[in-house]
Amino acid sequence: MAGGGGGGEGEPEFQIAPMIDVLLTLLIFFMSITTAQVEAIDKDIKLPIAPDAKERKKDPNQMIVNVKWSSKDQAATFMLDGAKFSDPQELTNAMEAKKAGRPDPSILIRGDKELQAKEIATVMNSAAQAGIDNIAFSTFNQ
Amino acid sequence: MGRIKHETKNEDVGFQIAPMIDVVFVIMLFFMVKVGARQTETEIKSKLPGSAETSTSVEGLEPLEESIMIDQDGVISHNDEILEAGSVKDGDLVQLKDRMKRLAEQGRADKTPVIVTVSTQPDTKYSRVVNVLNSLQYAGITNMTFTVSEDL
Repeated sequence: MAGGGGGGEGEPEFQIAPMIDVLLTLLIFFMSITTAQVEAIDKDIKLPIAPDAKERKKDPNQMIVNVKWSSKDQAATFMLDGAKFSDPQELTNAMEAKKAGRPDPSILIRGDKELQAKEIATVMNSAAQAGIDNIAFSTFNQ
Repeated sequence: MGRIKHETKNEDVGFQIAPMIDVVFVIMLFFMVKVGARQTETEIKSKLPGSAETSTSVEGLEPLEESIMIDQDGVISHNDEILEAGSVKDGDLVQLKDRMKRLAEQGRADKTPVIVTVSTQPDTKYSRVVNVLNSLQYAGITNMTFTVSEDL
């Protein structure tokens, strides 16, 4: 009450309330852009690093193939949209089934960096047999 | 002094603005610093071999076809000339990046599309392949295909 006496004519005071508003807005902004925008499909896959690649845009016509490398078994496992496949022919059939109803189908290969090129080639062969030409390789920026 | 003591005893403990601002500042700084180290998923687009050529030949221009080979030890060669030894660290493919940049510029100057085919052996590391694809992205070459074959 006594503090409020200065009111209108005195020098402008430092306003705490708007400052807190600004601070909280900034805080929420940085919090939201910091949360990793990593596709939560398979966290076990360590993607290779390509600093010059373009940021990934979400595409509903894109099928995601995860290729996981198990160092224990020295073998790769293929997953198409969450379903596991060990036989390339089954992978091809699944791709063909999913291709129907997608106007411009494409495949995103999320391969572990420990993989060998032949495992990626297996996925590409399956895509070719399923009649899908557009392939993208998923990477990390750093 | 006595008066202040008397007041604080009777009043409720009020909401303290100053420490709150301190905390918010610290949290904000933390997130601001973390933004720089943010890991995002990126993608390198490619076409399957055979489809890239047909898409460009429609324009009636003879495309500039180049081939890059990576052997199982990671040695990179361009048109049968060894450019990078297998020991060159990931991402430091300076010579390759330089060569690809010049190719892309030449393609732009001649108005001919540049098509690069990356061939590898089955046992070549995938991360090495991605390094080469990254060099092409760096040079601005988007028309590329990737093949794996036994006989290089």
